[in-house]
Parts: sequence; structure tokens; C-alpha cells
Amino acid sequence: MKKGTIINDRDVTLRFIRRAIDETEELREHVVSFDKDEVLFEQGCNLHHLYLLLEGSVRLNRMNKDGTSLDLLTLENGHYVGLVAFATGNKSITSAIANEHTSALKIEQGEFEQYMNDHPRLSHPLQQLMVSNMTERFMKNVVLESKMHSLNKELEQEGEQLKKAYQQLEESHQKLVHQEKMATLGELVAGFAHEVNNPAAALLRSSEALKENFLNLEQSDPRAAIFSIGLDSEPLSSDEQRKRMIEIHNRFPWVAERSTIRKLAQMPDSAHKIIQENRKKIPIETLTQQFEAGKFIHNIQVASERIANLVRSLKSYSRQDNNEAEMMDIREGIKDTILILTNRLKFLDVTLDLKEIPSTCGKLGELNQVWTNIIVNACDVLENGGKLSISTYSEGDYKIVVAISDNGPGIPPEILPRIFEPNFTTKNQGAEFGLGLGLAISNEIIRQHGGFIKASNKEEGGACFKIILPVKDC
Amino acid sequence: MEPQIYILVVEDELEVMDALVNDLEKFEDTFPVETANTSEEAKRVTEQIYESGGEVGLILCDHVLPGENGVDFLISLQSDDRSQKSRKVLVTGQAGLEDTIQAINNADLNYYIAKPWTREKLHEVVVDELTEYVIKQEYDPMKFMSVLDSIRLADVIRSGRITDR
Repeated sequence: MKKGTIINDRDVTLRFIRRAIDETEELREHVVSFDKDEVLFEQGCNLHHLYLLLEGSVRLNRMNKDGTSLDLLTLENGHYVGLVAFATGNKSITSAIANEHTSALKIEQGEFEQYMNDHPRLSHPLQQLMVSNMTERFMKNVVLESKMHSLNKELEQEGEQLKKAYQQLEESHQKLVHQEKMATLGELVAGFAHEVNNPAAALLRSSEALKENFLNLEQSDPRAAIFSIGLDSEPLSSDEQRKRMIEIHNRFPWVAERSTIRKLAQMPDSAHKIIQENRKKIPIETLTQQFEAGKFIHNIQVASERIANLVRSLKSYSRQDNNEAEMMDIREGIKDTILILTNRLKFLDVTLDLKEIPSTCGKLGELNQVWTNIIVNACDVLENGGKLSISTYSEGDYKIVVAISDNGPGIPPEILPRIFEPNFTTKNQGAEFGLGLGLAISNEIIRQHGGFIKASNKEEGGACFKIILPVKDC
Repeated sequence: MEPQIYILVVEDELEVMDALVNDLEKFEDTFPVETANTSEEAKRVTEQIYESGGEVGLILCDHVLPGENGVDFLISLQSDDRSQKSRKVLVTGQAGLEDTIQAINNADLNYYIAKPWTREKLHEVVVDELTEYVIKQEYDPMKFMSVLDSIRLADVIRSGRITDR
């Protein structure tokens, strides 16, 4: 017996018990033996006895609700088996199975007390073993508890990391989808631009040919002269037209039809002069028709030039032919972007102040996406007549700054730190550009170019985005 | 004497306006065409028409306009008895589904012509809408037989719906 411990060494105690069994006939009858894999008792049964292992070993196995089975504990000689069920009177929570040939002292419930009384020299060692068993299991329990605690902690951390990884995955997935969309859109645009070019060219060439046909008339012919005037005329606003229609009444009192008066109102004075001079020789209808022909050819040319310009910008804007980094003037991209967005910018007061900046290495198509995202955001918050200003300048020899600002409501300070986060959007679901990726992608593009974006609110109101890019060679 | 019935065209792009007005030429002798580049101007013009004792029978209106857009303009006309009865047609390439639904529900939109239009379609719509207007206002159908839907107008005369003129 070690000093300071109240529990004897288990082997010593066991040896003492074995000897007692050998010497006592009555106890020997209670020794049972089991073969390997023989079951001592099943999980869920009521136990009316308790085993004290004398030789061999027993494993405690628990069948879980999900059908998996788990070996919990291996008990060797000197251990009690069935202690918990025996002591509590509850159903056994495990099965006990012999690991090898095993012998044990079987103690019936009602007999335990009796043993103690009948064999007083056994009572102490049996109790000793019981306490030592309990203590051991309790200590195991403590160790298990603390192990479980740290495992839970680890699990929690892993869960957090998983969550984060999943989020990142989701973000990069969305970015990829967006990039894919943009690439498809770019291809579509490039193809479309190419296709539209043909009819636009046909329009331009045909109207040019038509013009020459008309001009083949002798230039001294008043019909040719008034056609030429029509060619150079610009359409009038409806207000001007109304004013001029009243003048026409006085100038051509002999013209009654309102449609003719309207046509006359669209003509400059030089055309009126031709009509009046030739009033006797050429009917006014013929001359107005000639003027109209010139005017409509002019309109065709203006319109088809607009198509051609749009197509040209669309092509260089999407830059499908070349997505490699190249030396470029950022201002060209900004101008293209503005032309592409004409429809949105039409009713805004747009100020451009594009100061001389050095060329730098970058991907024009990607940068155009950045200008588009920021400008479209501004358009969304601006009313008709709102102010948008875009400027470029260089800072020192190595920095290019693009500043895009508006006089809208500005960015609420509480969301300012978050606007570059993916999926952050203030727009309602279902809005046309509701992806919430615009600024996150812009930020990423600028970062890949070695620069950064700063968003702020101006003192006088409105938001300001500053994009700072390094000047570098390819 | 019946009032002069006008056609009002609201369109901000001058070349497009030019083409629209040109396509309306054949109606001008009966229905003078008035034009406006913004909805604000359109309100001024309609006011002038009313002051001179005229009426606006038909409004052809673009949607994307500087200032107030076409649909909002058409909706604003509903609050005035004089303009509420005007036939209203959107001529646009840019009104989305939402705007169009709004126009139908709140401005009593009568027709939607998508750009680019054809002269035939434009004429068909103008004839239909103005015929409807003339019949609803119970004006003398005889006056409009040559430019509008003569079959429908003849029906009206035959059914004797307008007897006291």
C-alpha cells in the first residue's frame, strides 16, 4: 500500500480475492467463464448481477441510434463489468463482449450484501476495487470531457473556416459567372457590331450615291440649288418651327395647306428666295420636294454616321479582339464608354476634363468595365439634369488619377466602408443591374492593374470615386 | 362650327420628329399637326390649342424625353377633362414592360407603336384612333369620311346615332 493513497494496488487486491476464491468452495461456484466474442450481457437489458473480471478482458460496445456501433472501453482483470446498470438499477447502456477467454466472479444483486457479511475478509477488497474502478472511470470521464471540449473548439474553428472558404468559393464563383457573362456579352457585341457595320455602310454609301444622282442636275437649275440647300439644312426644334410657321403666313400668303407651310418653315431664307424667284416657272410643290429630298438624305447620313460611330465605340469598348495588356491612353477608353452610355447620359450635365496623361500598360476592355460600373451607378442616383464630372490628371511621373464625381445624394457614411464588398447592393432585387458585383469587380480589376479605388463623399454633396493607377510599361 | 381637332407629336430627336411629321402629312389638312420636343413644351402647346378653341384628338408620344418622360406625361393628362379624352399612343423603342403597364393602367394608353415604325402601321393606328375619337365626341362623320375609316363612320350615320346635326 503506497503511502498517501487510500486505494490499494489493483493487482495486489485481485491476488487476494483470487486466493479467497480458491479457498472457498461457495465462491468457486460463482466463477463463470466466457469464450472469445461471447456476450456477457446485451445493451438495453436489466442487469441482476455484476461481474468482477479475474482473467482476460471484456470490451463495452454501444450501438448508436444511427446504427453504427462503437467500442467504448476495454476492461481488464480487476475491473467490474455492469457496474453502472447494477448500481443504478437502470437498463444497461452497453453490451459487454469477451475479447478472449475470460473468467469472472458473478455476483448476484441480492447476494452482494450477503457476501460482504459472510466473507468479511472479502468485503474490504471488493469495496476497494469498486472505489478504484469508479475513480478510474471518473478520471477518464474528466479527461474525456476536456478532450471533447477542445475537440468542440476545433470543430467550431473548422466550421468557421469552412464557412469562410465557402463564402470565398461562392464569391469567386459569382465573379467567374459574371466574367463569363461579360465575355459572352463581349463576343455578342463584337459580332453584332460587325453585322451592323454592313447595313450601316450600305446606308452611308447609298445615300451618298443618291446625293450624287440629284446633284447631277445643272447647278444653275433652281431644283439642284434648292436640293443642295436641303442637304445642308439642320432640323429645327418644334418651338422654332412654330415661330417660323407664323412668318411663312406673311411671306407666302398664297400658300394654304398647313403641310406645305410646315415644309416652308423648315427651309432657310435662301430656299424661300429660290421659290419666290421661280414661282411662275416651277410649281412650289416641285421645289419643296427637292428640298425635302435633300433634307431626308441629310437625315439618313446623320443617322447612319451615328450608327457607324456607335458601332466603332462598341467594338473598341468591348475589345474582344485583344484582351492582352497593352500600352494605352486611358482617356480613349473613357470617351468610348461615354459614347456607349449616351442613352443614360443624355439628360445629365456631363463635364469632361481629360488632362494630358502618360500612356500606361493595361487591359482597355477591363478598365472600360470599371468606368461603366461607376458611371452607371451615378446615373442611377441622379435625376434629370444632375451633374456628372469625369477628369483625368497625372500625379508626379508615375501616377494617373481618374476622378468620377456626381452631385447626387452621396454614399451614406454607414455603408461607405462596405461598398466594395461582393454582393453589396442598395438596388432592389430585380433591378437591371442588381448583381451587386459592379464595384467589387471594379475594385478587383484596378487592384490587378496595380492601383486602387477610393470612394468618398464630397463636402458640397455627392459621391466621388478616385481611381489611382500606376504608370508602367508593358 | 365644330372645333379644330389637332394631332400632337412629342419627340425629342429632331430627325425622328421630321420623319414622323412627314408620315402624317396626309392628315394635316383635316387634323393640323402640332409638335413638341419635351413634355413641358407639349403642355404649353396643348394649352394654346385649348385657348384657340381647338381640341387634341390624338397624341403620339415618345417615352424617353428630357425632363418628364412620356408615360408620366400621358398620366398627367388624365387629370384634365380636356386632355383626358384625347387618344394616346406611345411611339417608342425604349419603354420597358413596367412603364408600358403603367401607361396602360394609369394613362388609358390606346396603342403602342414600336420604333422603327412603318408608314402603313402609323396610318392604320392614326385612322383607327381618330375615328374612335370623332365617333365618341359625336362629331359629324361626314366631315371625316375622306381621311378616316369611312366604313365605321357610315355605320354610325346609318344607325342614326347622330341625328340632330
